[in-house]
Amino acid sequence: MDKVQQEVDHLYKKYFGKMVASLLYFSQEIDLETAEDLVQDSYSSALTSWKSDGIPANPEGWIYKVCKNKALNKIKKEKRVRGITVNEDFLFQDPHSSDSVVDDYQLRLLFACAHPDLSPKVQVVITLKYVINLKIESIAKVLAMTIDGVDKLLSRARQKIREEKVPLQEPDVLTLHSRIHIVHKILYLLFNEGYKSSWGKELLREELCEEALLMAKTLIDGNIGNKETAALYALMLFNAARFKARIGSNGELLDLEEQDRSLWNKDLIRYACTFLHQSKGGPVSSYHYEATIAYLHCTAKDFNSTDWVSVSKLYLQLLQMNPNPFVELNYSIALYYSGQKKKAFKILNELQQKPFFNQYYLLNATLGKFNLLEGNNSVAREFFLKTLQQTEFEIEKEYIRKQINKIKN
Amino acid sequence: MEKFLLLIREDLKKMSEMSEEEFNRDLQLMMTWMESLSESGDLGTGEPLLTTGRYVNKDRVLSDGPFLEAKEAISGYMIITAENLDQAASMTQTCPLIIEGKIAIEVRQIWK
Repeated sequence: MDKVQQEVDHLYKKYFGKMVASLLYFSQEIDLETAEDLVQDSYSSALTSWKSDGIPANPEGWIYKVCKNKALNKIKKEKRVRGITVNEDFLFQDPHSSDSVVDDYQLRLLFACAHPDLSPKVQVVITLKYVINLKIESIAKVLAMTIDGVDKLLSRARQKIREEKVPLQEPDVLTLHSRIHIVHKILYLLFNEGYKSSWGKELLREELCEEALLMAKTLIDGNIGNKETAALYALMLFNAARFKARIGSNGELLDLEEQDRSLWNKDLIRYACTFLHQSKGGPVSSYHYEATIAYLHCTAKDFNSTDWVSVSKLYLQLLQMNPNPFVELNYSIALYYSGQKKKAFKILNELQQKPFFNQYYLLNATLGKFNLLEGNNSVAREFFLKTLQQTEFEIEKEYIRKQINKIKN
Repeated sequence: MEKFLLLIREDLKKMSEMSEEEFNRDLQLMMTWMESLSESGDLGTGEPLLTTGRYVNKDRVLSDGPFLEAKEAISGYMIITAENLDQAASMTQTCPLIIEGKIAIEVRQIWK
């Protein structure tokens, strides 16, 4: 890639959302879609112009200026049609830069994306687009969606923003308070998308985890966060500590039992512990339970000496807070390893009766693994073969094939 | 958070004529969608319904009921949580079978 392209990409990644937000602040006449088009246009102009004239001394200022002029022309043109002239005397800057509750512009946009009328998935997509400044192709890639699918979600979100005049602007202090819970959910989902092992090693996904971690830390440092933020941050740190140990030297997926625990990042685990400690004393959220489970895994000497009894009790708490079959599956796994095998199989068999859930590869993989451990080899093989049909990801299929080979030997 | 009942509606006649592969593929798609709802902590439960049923009112029991004739009869249900009705509807829009136009979903808030 040549230098100009690199610089433009870099600036895009850094300023796209900020420039769009600035245009929205700048004039009520500009809607989100127009703002995006104008900013996009300005980046294209930069690419063409810099290729012939070289990169200017203040590249982001250059793009801002072009962006501002394009916006002005657009407004003037529309006003002229209606016979009104426009006052050109304005400042193209962030009006909230000095007296803002939320200092970091990225966070301000994040709170805007956390609009309660939008589904969590849409919130994640627009956060990736306007806060993390990913291009649509990259969003599709990290969310395992088609470009068309992302486009559709984005256009529906824009439509909603336009119709209901949902402002993509900084909410006031009260709204800030009520939205923190949604912001947590967005960060949690962002981190999870990056953390999913189904894609193997990929830089982009690791960056997503880093972005989520950074934003959570900014919430805490800016005193916007609460005890729940600390619990969420601890949870993400515990998981981040194990990030690299999940994939083996040949790119294969390693489960918790197979991972080399000496590769887990001890410093990160210690750091996470301080935030888990900080999170105590307020209302207990699902992040508290999940972080405590992650803590128990991270501090166990090996797989077998894990405090499975406590882990299973925590899953039971989660289940009481939010009953759902996916948590039940995790609960049954913890029960099995804590020695309550009969109870574990009872839950697994009940889950298997659910028509939707019977299609879930992790349920069948778990049934395969436990049957293998119990010596029911032929039953185990059947479950594993069923699992092979239920995942699209090669790395997960590879993991299942490895389990099937264990039966043969 | 509020609770919502999702009534999945589709053409039961078409559904009963579906090949097993197509039926399983649809179940799989619903499963993946439920997984994403569960990840955001919004899934309660959900199950498909058989195409057979009885319709009961004051006067009689209709053996088959009017289900099979209806183009949009209830073929399954789910319970989810959401901030409000708009968000629940927005979540429903991300269902892959909705995107494919195979089903319609009625979103109803549960009284509390």
